[in-house]
Amino acid sequence: MKFKCLVITWLLALISVIGAASSAPRSRTATEAAVYSPAEADAMRLEGEKRFRANCNRCHAAPHKFPPRMMATMVRHMRVRASITDEDMRYILYYMTQ
Amino acid sequence: MGLKRCLRGVLPASAGLFLFLCVTLLSVTPGLAGGQSSDEKAVPILTGSAGYFNFVTAGQNEVNAQINPVLLVPLGDRWLVESRAEFEGAFQRPPDGGSYGGMVSKNLDYLQADYIANPYLTVTLGRFLTPFGIFNERLYPIWIRSLQQDPLILPLSAESSDGMMLRGGFPVNAKVNLNYAAYVSAVSSGHSNLESDRNVGGRVGIFLPGPRVEVGASWQKLLQDERTHSFGFHFAWQPTRLPLNIHSEYARSNHGSGYWIDGAYRLSQVLFWQKALRRLEFAGRAEQFFSGQISPDEAEALELPAANTREGEFGLNYYLHDGLKAVASYGRQFSSAGNLNLWTVGIAYRFAVALGRAGSQ
Repeated sequence: MKFKCLVITWLLALISVIGAASSAPRSRTATEAAVYSPAEADAMRLEGEKRFRANCNRCHAAPHKFPPRMMATMVRHMRVRASITDEDMRYILYYMTQ
Repeated sequence: MGLKRCLRGVLPASAGLFLFLCVTLLSVTPGLAGGQSSDEKAVPILTGSAGYFNFVTAGQNEVNAQINPVLLVPLGDRWLVESRAEFEGAFQRPPDGGSYGGMVSKNLDYLQADYIANPYLTVTLGRFLTPFGIFNERLYPIWIRSLQQDPLILPLSAESSDGMMLRGGFPVNAKVNLNYAAYVSAVSSGHSNLESDRNVGGRVGIFLPGPRVEVGASWQKLLQDERTHSFGFHFAWQPTRLPLNIHSEYARSNHGSGYWIDGAYRLSQVLFWQKALRRLEFAGRAEQFFSGQISPDEAEALELPAANTREGEFGLNYYLHDGLKAVASYGRQFSSAGNLNLWTVGIAYRFAVALGRAGSQ
């Protein structure tokens, strides 16, 4: 009985989370930006490298760069695993793919 | 009335806190996308690590071969299904001689679905690594850890949990990031490949990107048997001027308490023999375990030391190639049950292959 109540509570919470998030509007992201000037792109890469060193190098050495679609998956995995912030993830993905 | 009674009678204060966190995070309207960019479609990948080691403990050699495949399947911009299995063969020669023999253990470490709800919140459902301290979640893979022996206090918290987790990380201001995880494990399983307990817990960490320092605390309450509490603290520091990584954890439960601190220094700044030395890393660890209210048999079953124990370990890692490293270490363990030497030599490899069109590099 206790266990069922607990499960029902968490399921209700999960449904609410998904419902709330699904209605959120999408916005433009760092890597979705269509065109950067060379100066902007350099600045983004530098910032991405800085954030890569601060976040990723805390646990492991820098891997060599993988193809962009693989990096997209790996960065998403690390976002969850290492609780990397949304902004950090976008800069790191840009640095690792551009 | 029924639900109220149910909530009052059933949910302990800790689960109530978890529920409060759910509601608070839900009240945040996700103004930003939260999901990932769509101009580089993520592709499923098979990654993980494989390793071969010789562990010599008090003169007894163990041949250890393991492979830990990790499957990552992104779905759309917001979902990720991820899983890691562990296949580990540990072979020893019998005390009276003869050929090596032993067991191949198979474990499912995690099989989880992650939903990136907004920039502040990711919802995880399934079997996941318990976010207690930092070693289990972040430093456990053999290609990441600087020393291959597990810390003595690792078994003080459950390695995997089955249930639901809320987690995320976000900047508090330009100088401070906050990360958190709160979870409920709803399944108690004694199955040898899928062990888990019913528990509730959480972890919170503060990361300062400037000095690259992270401090945090973890807590867990068992919702079965003795309904005991565990808590711990962690610390990580990566100085900006040195290729040095320092990690530390403290944990306490009724089974015992203890701490470990380890450091890894990469010789990438050495001015001579750069080509060879930049691939070399020195690593060291000091740790101590204080036995708690636990019998020697229980300690053995949990893979905890049966008595108060101190240990020091020093090692060398040589990165032959990206993801491929040779390791060697020596440690000395001091305990009232007897002192012993720990030698490790081996090789660890990290692999990653795309299960689909990966695009050009």
